[in-house]
Amino acid sequence: MANKILIIDDDPDVVLALRMPLESAGYVVSDAHSQESGLKAVDQIKPDLIILDVMMDTHTAGFQLAQKLHGPAAKVEHKAIPILMLTAVHQTTPLRFSPDEDYLPVDGFIEKPVDPKKLIAEIKRLLHR
Amino acid sequence: MKITTEPQPESKEPRWALQPTLDELGQNARLLIRLRWVAGFGILIGTIFTSAVLGLDLRVTPLLVIGLSVLAYNTALFFLSHNDMPREGFERIAWGQILLDWLAMIALVHFTGGITSPALIYFVLHAALSGMILLPWQVRSLTVLAILIVGGLAWLERAGWLPHVTIDELDLHNSLHKNTTYIAAVMFFFGSTVFVLSELVTRIVQRLRQREEHIRQLLEARSTFVRVATHELRAPLAAGLSLMKNIEQGYAGELTEQQMALITRVIHRLEGLRTLIDDLLTLARSREATIAHAPLEPDSVRAMLVKIIERETPNADHKRITLHNDLSDDPGVVMAGPIGLQIILGNLLNNAIKYTPEGGDVWITYRVSRPTHTVEVTIADSGIGIPAADMPNIFNEFFRARNVKETQVTGTGIGLSTVKTLVDRYRGVLTLESEEGQGTTVTVSLPLASKQPPREPL
Repeated sequence: MANKILIIDDDPDVVLALRMPLESAGYVVSDAHSQESGLKAVDQIKPDLIILDVMMDTHTAGFQLAQKLHGPAAKVEHKAIPILMLTAVHQTTPLRFSPDEDYLPVDGFIEKPVDPKKLIAEIKRLLHR
Repeated sequence: MKITTEPQPESKEPRWALQPTLDELGQNARLLIRLRWVAGFGILIGTIFTSAVLGLDLRVTPLLVIGLSVLAYNTALFFLSHNDMPREGFERIAWGQILLDWLAMIALVHFTGGITSPALIYFVLHAALSGMILLPWQVRSLTVLAILIVGGLAWLERAGWLPHVTIDELDLHNSLHKNTTYIAAVMFFFGSTVFVLSELVTRIVQRLRQREEHIRQLLEARSTFVRVATHELRAPLAAGLSLMKNIEQGYAGELTEQQMALITRVIHRLEGLRTLIDDLLTLARSREATIAHAPLEPDSVRAMLVKIIERETPNADHKRITLHNDLSDDPGVVMAGPIGLQIILGNLLNNAIKYTPEGGDVWITYRVSRPTHTVEVTIADSGIGIPAADMPNIFNEFFRARNVKETQVTGTGIGLSTVKTLVDRYRGVLTLESEEGQGTTVTVSLPLASKQPPREPL
């Protein structure tokens, strides 16, 4: 059975850019556009992987959602779903994110603009761990 | 439906009574404590000098007791005030020390002749000091209190309810303290001086605080603007580029050779724009860091190089460039801003890789120069080099060398100027050697930090 991937991002063009390579690689893709609808979609769709944007309606919506899904108070079934975080942080900017158990509980990062090849490689890595 | 906007009330003037900042409170506390050491020892030495050398008939014992008390409570204040004290702590200490000073001063005035005492002038000095450290209403109340206390003392001594201490040399007829006209005149001039002076100081201090607040708001507004603008500029660009890359990688169907060439060009230009936005943000941040005087902290050169080399390795591998480095010795730490070292070394290594053709080499080395106590980081490449004619402008903002513009390498001409701004700020030296076609060698020399800086003493 094909793996289900949920994209949570408020920019429809980014969603499209992610959807195209994922679908052609054979994944079943759904999307949500806010923190709340994203949380609902996680329970409805029960995805195998979540691609989460950092900045949505607020600058930290992605962080908050990651905390809800993987933080200390999260449900066990949520914690099992890997999260790939989408950031617009360029390598020359000072802020560097790194996966961190307590601070930012996500499993990987992918930079915007998205390179489809890198995206697929990262998704495969996370799904076949 | 009808919507009418509300008339806006006139913009309010900035609040008159601005609280001193915590920094200011700390500085003032330190200043007063330093001044008080001088005052305490001054009273002791002055008393001994005037009575023993000048032979004036002073009440030596009470004056020495006053001097010693001043030193005693100053010692207590010295140990009570810490740099990391909360605001309330500083405020209590500000009040406490002014009240203690006043008790000491009134005793000093009493034992040196009451209304005839030259020590009265010290109240004027203190009016200025309280104007610096207290709020306007507090200063006014204290000024009124000062006038009442001095007036009360003069009156008690005149009425004979408090013994008057006479220094014969100052009051030949021993009657000046009973002279109502004299008392009234002194009180008038004393009172008006204290009042006007404290008011002036308060106003100047308030004006300074308003300006500081204004500057703080401006800086905040600017950095908010930069952050928002950058995000707003970046988001659509990132979305567009993501879509473009889908086309480029064939997810939207096969492209003709001509279409592919055009898409590649578009992506190339958009990547250039993205670099420009990122560089502008870095520049704005480093300027901010320079202006705001972000405190410098010890930062490890080796750790930063390891991090940056790790980050740039994919770029180098992509172009089959070999990164030669030997980071076995630890050269130690330098004092830099929170992101300074990363910007400096990151930009230099990124440039070296960017301007070196496929299959080239980049060398990263460092050495400690003992005589100057500096660490020299050298990043050399076998790249395209810089034409001699362009060397004088190489550190200018937005400047790009002629041969760089001819290549397809994207860049903005901001990197090196930012590096220079930061190296200047850290009192370092930037050396650039280059020969067109032969490669470029950049050396950054930064002063080594001498361990942890000591805590600033009070």
